Amino acid sequence: MIKHLKILEFALSSLWRRKFKNLGLIVVFSLIIFTLSSIVFLTYSFKREAVAVLKDAPELIVQRLSAGRHEMMPVEYMKKIKDIPGVGKIVPRLWGYYYDISTGGNYTVMALREGLQDKISLMEGSFVVGSGSCVVGRGVADARFLDIGSIMPLIGADGKVRRFRVAGIFTDESNLLTNDLVIIGEKDFREVFRIPQSIATDIVVQIYNPTEVDNIARKIKEALPDTRPITRREILRTYDTLFDWRSGMVLTMFLGAILAFVILAWDKATGLSAEERHEIAILKAIGWETSDVMELKFWEGFIISSLSFLTGLIGGYLHIYFFGASIFSPALKGWSVIFPEFRLVPYINIYQIAVLLFFTVIPYMAATIVPSWKAAITDPDVVMRG
Amino acid sequence: MNRETVIRVENVSKCINRGRPNEVWPVRGVSLEIERAQCVVLKGPSGSGKTSLLSLIGCMSRPTEGRILLHGRDVAKLPERFLTEIRRNTFGFIFQQFNLIPGITVKENVMLPLYPTEMGLTEIKTRAERLMKKLRIYERRHFHVKGLSGGEQQRVAIARALINDPEIILADEPTAHLDTRLSVELIEILKGLKEEGKTLVIATHDPLVYEQGFVDRVVEMRDGRVI
Amino acid sequence: MKYRLFISIIMVEIVILAILFIRGAGLAGKYQKDIEARRMLVSTLMLTDLSIWTEARYTRHPSQTDIFSPFQDYPSSIEHFPAGSILSPEGVYLQRGGKK
Repeated sequence: MIKHLKILEFALSSLWRRKFKNLGLIVVFSLIIFTLSSIVFLTYSFKREAVAVLKDAPELIVQRLSAGRHEMMPVEYMKKIKDIPGVGKIVPRLWGYYYDISTGGNYTVMALREGLQDKISLMEGSFVVGSGSCVVGRGVADARFLDIGSIMPLIGADGKVRRFRVAGIFTDESNLLTNDLVIIGEKDFREVFRIPQSIATDIVVQIYNPTEVDNIARKIKEALPDTRPITRREILRTYDTLFDWRSGMVLTMFLGAILAFVILAWDKATGLSAEERHEIAILKAIGWETSDVMELKFWEGFIISSLSFLTGLIGGYLHIYFFGASIFSPALKGWSVIFPEFRLVPYINIYQIAVLLFFTVIPYMAATIVPSWKAAITDPDVVMRG
Repeated sequence: MNRETVIRVENVSKCINRGRPNEVWPVRGVSLEIERAQCVVLKGPSGSGKTSLLSLIGCMSRPTEGRILLHGRDVAKLPERFLTEIRRNTFGFIFQQFNLIPGITVKENVMLPLYPTEMGLTEIKTRAERLMKKLRIYERRHFHVKGLSGGEQQRVAIARALINDPEIILADEPTAHLDTRLSVELIEILKGLKEEGKTLVIATHDPLVYEQGFVDRVVEMRDGRVI
Repeated sequence: MKYRLFISIIMVEIVILAILFIRGAGLAGKYQKDIEARRMLVSTLMLTDLSIWTEARYTRHPSQTDIFSPFQDYPSSIEHFPAGSILSPEGVYLQRGGKK
C-alpha cells in the first residue's frame, strides 16, 4: 500500500515539473467532459420528462394528410370513426400556429371548450377561456410583457386585430409544456383563423380497451385512407428516440475542440521523448521494476483523467441543473424566439456516465501507459552508455 | 579479515546485435573475483569493455556466455524481477553522466530508489537526510538538480546510490566530469565508503583514482579482455 | 506530501458529486408532485409534445409532424435548424415505419 502511495507521490512530482502543460491539459480535458456530460444530462432529462409527462397524452389522435401534408380535418369524419366498435368519446382538437410580427415569435394557439377548466393547476390567475379572454404560457407572457389583465392582440385571418384579456399565465414549472401556448375559446379561435364549424385540426379518440388501440388505429386507416392515426405509444416512442447527442451541432461545434485535445493528448502521451525514455531507464537502473514504471505511468494518466473527469462532471451537473443550461442555450435555442427556461429534474443515467468514462478516461490512460511499455521492458544498461 | 568472495565472474562474454552485421563483443571471456570490502579498479581506454563489464556485474544486462555468481548464486539466468530486486538491495550505482532526474528536488532524487519498496516515507526521509548531511548537500535539498554544480550533482548521485545501504558500489568513470579539486573530494568519499566496509568496483582511466593507496587491485582491460 | 493533497481533492470531488446525485435523486421524488400536475395538464389540454423549440412545426410538435417536414428541401439535405443538434429526425422517421 505504502509503495503505491509513494509511486503516486512521484507521479505527482513528475507531472508538477510541467505544471502549465499538465494543468492546461486538465482544463481542456475538463471542458470536454463538461460539454459532453452537459449534453448527456440535458438530453436525458428531456427524455425522462417527456416520457413521464406524456403518459397522459391522448390515446389516439387522428389527423388528415393531403399530399403528404397535415391538413385540416372535416368534422364528419368523426361519424365514421364513431361506428368502429370499441371507440369511446371522440373530441375534435383545434390548434395551430401564430406568428407574432412584433416579437418575431411563433406561438402555438389552442382552442378549448369551456367547462373543463377547474382541474388546471400550475398557473397564476384563473383559467377562464370565455369569449375575449385567453391563457398564455410564460414564454409568451415574457415576450410580450404580459400580466394578468393585460391585453394580448391577435391579428385574424381577415386582417382585423382582436384583443384578448389575459386571464391566466402558466407558471414556470410547466414551461416545458406550455411555454409558447396561447389558449383561447373555441368560438374565438374559429373567428380569428376563419375556420368553419365543419372542420377541426385533428381528432382525439378515446378507446375503452387499451389493448385494442393498434387494432382500432388500423380500422380507422382502412375506413378513412387519407388519415394518419398516431397512438400514444408512438408519441412516447418518438420521445424515447428523439433526444440524441450523437449527431448534431453541439457535438459538431465541439468536435474541433475534441480533435485538438486528442492531438494534444496523443502528443503528450505517445510522444515518449528521448528524455522520458532516458528517465525510465534511470528508474530501472536504480532498482525500479518494469511493473513499477508502468504503475508510475498509470498514476500519471489517472491523475490527469480522474481530476478532469470529476471536475467536468460536477461542472456539467451544475450547468444543467443549477444554471438551466445557460451556456448551451444560445446554441440550443437556435432560431426559436420563444424558448423555455429550464427547470429540469436531475435524472442521472449511470449507464451514460459509464459510457462517457469509457470513451474519455480509458483511451487517455491507454495512450499514456501503452507507449511506455516498450521503454520500460528494455534493459536499463542504456544509461551506462551515456 | 574475512576473505569471502562476493562476486565471481566466470568466463563471461557479452555480445550486442548478435547475428547482424554490426555485431560486437564488448566483453570476451573475462574471469574475475572480487572479495568483500575490496576496492577493485577496472582500468583501460574507452571502448575496452569496462562499462559493459560493470553493467554485467550490476545485473543491468545479462551475459551472452559465462556465469556471474553473486554470493555463490548464478544471477545470469534469473528472471527480470529478481534481477531488479538484487539491483535494488545489493548495488549502488554511480554513473558517469550522474543520471539525475531533472525538475524534481535533490531530496526526491535521493529518495527515488526506495519508492517502489514497502519502506515508510518517514524512514526514507530520515535516511536521505542523514546521507545528504554527510555529503554536504543538505542545504540544497529543496533545489532542483539542474541548478547544482557538477560536484554537487555528483554527490547527489552518490547519496542516491547509498540510500538503499548497498553492499557493493559500482562507479563508472566517476571523475570524468569533475576537475581535480572535486575529483579529490570524490576520492575521499570513496575512500570513506571503503573504510565503512563497502565493496567498490570502479571503472576509470583516471590515474588520480587508480593510483590511490586504498585501491586493492587494478584490473587492466583492453578490447574486452583482461590483460 | 502531494499524494495526500491529490487524494483529498479526488475525495472532495467524489463527495460533491455524490451529494449532487443524491440531491438529484431526492429532488426527483420531490418533483413527483409537479410531474403529477404536469400530467394533469397534458391530459386536460390534450397536449402531445414538449414546448421546447418553436422554430418549425416538426421541432415544436415532433410527434405530430408528417415524415416529410424534417426534409423539406429534399430528402438528403442537411437538416438546418439548430435544434437538430440534439433531436434526430431519424427517430421520428423510423417509428413511422420508415426504413433505415
